[in-house]
Amino acid sequence: MKIRFAPLARPRTGTLVLVLAEGAAGAESGPPLLAALNAESDGAVARSIAAARFAAKAGQVCALLAPPGLGLTRLVLVGAGPAGKLDRLAAERAGGTLAAALDGQAEAAALIAEPPPGAALDAAVFAVALAAGASLRAWRFERYRTRPVPGKDAAAPRLARLDLLVPDRRAAAHAWAAAEAAVAGTLFARDLITEPANRLTPAQFADQLRALRRDGVEVEILPEPRLRKLGFGALLGVGQGSPNRPLLAVLRWRGQGRRARRAAERPGPLAFVGKGVCFDTGGISIKPADRMWEMRADMAGAAAAAGAMLALARRRAPVDAVAVLGLVENAISERALRPSDVVRSLSGKTVEVIDTDAEGRLVLADCLHYAATRFRPAAMVDLATLTGSIVVALGHERAGLFASDAALAAAIAAAGEAVGEPVWPMPLSDAYLEGVRSPIADLRNCHPGRMQPDACHAAIFLRQFAGAVPWAHLDIAGVDTRERADALGPKGAAGWGVRLLDRLSALRFEGEAARPTGRRGRHG
Amino acid sequence: MTEIRFAAPALPKDGALVLPMAEGTAPAGLAAQVDRALSGRLKAALKAARFAGKKGQTATLLAPGAGLSRVIAVGLGKAAELTEDGIEAAGGTAMAALLAGADLAGAIAADLPQGAPKGIDAAAFAARLALGARLRSYRFDRYRTTEKPEDKPALKAATLLGPDPARAKAAYAPLGRIADGVFITRDLVSEPPNVLNPAVMAERCRALGKLGVKVEVMGPRELRRLGFNTLLAVAQGSANEARVVVMRWNGAPRRGRGKGKGGAAPVAFVGKGVTFDTGGISIKPAAGMEDMKWDMAGAGAVVGLMAALAGRKAKVDAVGIVGLVENMPSGTAQRPGDVVKSYSGQTIEVLNTDAEGRLVLADCLWYCQERFKPRFMVDLATLTGAIIISLGHENAGLFASDDTLAAQIIAAGKATGEECWRMPLGDAYDKQLKSDIADMKNIGGRPGGSITAAQFLQRFVNKVPWAHLDIAGVAWQGKDKPAVPKGATAFGVRLLDRLVAEHYESR
Repeated sequence: MKIRFAPLARPRTGTLVLVLAEGAAGAESGPPLLAALNAESDGAVARSIAAARFAAKAGQVCALLAPPGLGLTRLVLVGAGPAGKLDRLAAERAGGTLAAALDGQAEAAALIAEPPPGAALDAAVFAVALAAGASLRAWRFERYRTRPVPGKDAAAPRLARLDLLVPDRRAAAHAWAAAEAAVAGTLFARDLITEPANRLTPAQFADQLRALRRDGVEVEILPEPRLRKLGFGALLGVGQGSPNRPLLAVLRWRGQGRRARRAAERPGPLAFVGKGVCFDTGGISIKPADRMWEMRADMAGAAAAAGAMLALARRRAPVDAVAVLGLVENAISERALRPSDVVRSLSGKTVEVIDTDAEGRLVLADCLHYAATRFRPAAMVDLATLTGSIVVALGHERAGLFASDAALAAAIAAAGEAVGEPVWPMPLSDAYLEGVRSPIADLRNCHPGRMQPDACHAAIFLRQFAGAVPWAHLDIAGVDTRERADALGPKGAAGWGVRLLDRLSALRFEGEAARPTGRRGRHG
Repeated sequence: MTEIRFAAPALPKDGALVLPMAEGTAPAGLAAQVDRALSGRLKAALKAARFAGKKGQTATLLAPGAGLSRVIAVGLGKAAELTEDGIEAAGGTAMAALLAGADLAGAIAADLPQGAPKGIDAAAFAARLALGARLRSYRFDRYRTTEKPEDKPALKAATLLGPDPARAKAAYAPLGRIADGVFITRDLVSEPPNVLNPAVMAERCRALGKLGVKVEVMGPRELRRLGFNTLLAVAQGSANEARVVVMRWNGAPRRGRGKGKGGAAPVAFVGKGVTFDTGGISIKPAAGMEDMKWDMAGAGAVVGLMAALAGRKAKVDAVGIVGLVENMPSGTAQRPGDVVKSYSGQTIEVLNTDAEGRLVLADCLWYCQERFKPRFMVDLATLTGAIIISLGHENAGLFASDDTLAAQIIAAGKATGEECWRMPLGDAYDKQLKSDIADMKNIGGRPGGSITAAQFLQRFVNKVPWAHLDIAGVAWQGKDKPAVPKGATAFGVRLLDRLVAEHYESR
């Protein structure tokens, strides 16, 4: 969807959208423009509001078709909830609500993007939040539709353009440049996640990543023979059952510039690590058939890390960042890993594979060790659709956050709250290490018993491969997919994490504020 | 159970002797005496056993001489890092070692290691060792009739040998009362469900009267009259009638003259007491169902806690309320789909009769806040399997409406080794309780199952500062821990006693 910013003016044709605050949605109580529209329509606006019981609650929409005396095709009133509670996230949701309401109704719309009276929100921030929400909600994935959906009006217009009418066009456009980058990263991740596994093998995933070069991201693909040589025994073990060979993708964004500081003084990069299991059958420990198709999204962690790199590059973020993505397919075959096999990880630690469906942690084990030793990052965050246990623990509302570094954990939690991708801290304690000790190897990949805190076991397992780097693990198995449409997206891939990582970088790792968590460098 | 005594440090003439030793230190105090009496063989033996005094390490010398049957060294870890919890663990390990032999009497040397943190003095050191030893000595053998004498523990008494036995004994006195409370809870939780039905458990509560606790027992008629409908709906399938027991300990000093109510509002504890949970019509799978005898562990902890507070004459006004029912399938049992009107007036659609604990607690919580207007309410319940999948057996799930209370509970848990991990609450979870035909339904689905259960409870606390401890993963343990033998843990008694002692007692 195209977003444009234009000076505040009152359109006399087409579709006009007004965002109103709860309790200020009457001809009397509302903004002057509403009163003017009501007067010119000879009271039709007020009568419509009353007839529809529109109170401008969050999520409410009131559409007036061909309102008399105004010349407009359509006047759409969107509720944003109480002005006192109208923050950036509420404004994003209002933007999403209006995009959902207009889709199928209008091709273009003009939106008065002035914060309602009483809202403590900068005008540019408000406008940009509306634009971001609308763009996120308007995303669709229609690559594989070859003909119109039966029963749907094929001629119904698709909302393709939103003109935001703002008091200060330049300020809004400037702010949008940064926000748009995060939106683009999110939508890129959603596309990747939604692609079916026969269209997104590890090699095809790598092809899609190569496209990031256009935005200045360095893309390095390590093919299987190279991984074998390096000793990625855990990751390769997972991939060995599939004819689609595993790969490692390394993405770099050098936003600090090579000359910014002498190399010795430069803190290590911010590192993202993503689980990219392009399809997860479970392997020999095969999953039940019911809902197995959802496992095409088992690469959502890698997709989010890639999306975050795109976001950083698009907004030319002053940060050095690197993403390490383990791309494999966990297939079942005569060559597949067996329960009880022992693999040697890149770190040298051996792992007894109790359950071949606890494969994500094997992939990540090697990726984490590789990222930690090759890049010596200032901080390392991994994202993975890792466990069903985290869904039982936190549902679909929050991702599980496990962290070895309190400052990093706090920054991630703050970033998550700021962008509406909330996390919840979960225990990362050696008490859980007992659960993943093996009688015959250094570790086992999960506890064989029923009713286990598998998310905690997986996290302490990963901890063994993160070295001394300040590290956090986000278990996103509950949040990678929207169970149903909401204000910020249709049902399906959420692209969860892109905006969080982008915000984390901005909050803590960029420009003047850039500082390593944990110990200071020798020259610090 | 083993008697705990205190005496001045003198080398025992016979029996077993435990020597707690800090990491990297040479035998000192009584240990040095032992080494001399054995002509240096203690040091030699410790070296041979590679005993370094690390936490949990032990080394045993059998029939070492000097009349002793055994000398057992127990590691304390580094002296500078000693904690109360760590000393108790060493005391527990000492007791386990003493119980493993044939001795009728044993002794534990209580020489405070050099370099211990300032807050720990010799008396406290001895008292904490004693507490750990006592806690570990617990055994539930009421139903063993054929056990051979040689299989029963022989030890009758353990004596702590330290510099000032009178002070150590005084320091131990309140701790011993806490251990009494813990044992009451462990007994209740260990009892089989054909013995411990709601009426019998209520009678056990009455026994707290002799400690000065005021005990009221309400039966089905009174509960019906009051309107405890959701609690009664859980009980209606069972031949064993429900009870609700209200226990009050008024230990806060009364201000001024007369009996005026004077004091601050009480603190309140509410426990889920499902004496057996079959699941009801939504019946549980047979495998593991026997564990459901301890579905009253929350209530059990509240009873033990009240006994501990009264036993040590805590300067606090405290209320304990337990809802006691049995959840059985039968012709009279509630059905999935039934709608019940709770004591609060809110209606509940019961979609799963195995989500019954929250129904019991709903009425108890509302009643508690309405009648007692407490400073806070903490409830304990073996509420969800989901909390085990979330946190395992390492942490209880803590849900709280009040950050201060939550922080106090977490700290008290750390200090007593009964650890809690805070879990989230929020509107997004609360919404999952929406019912098609009533004010709420009693399940929110598998995702976030412990959280939606807590949200359900929060609808019945009416803005009183409140915390909920989901103890399904920690009420029972399959393995021994130093101060907690396997079986019923009495999780919550020590934690909540500590919470009261640290923050809610008059000084």
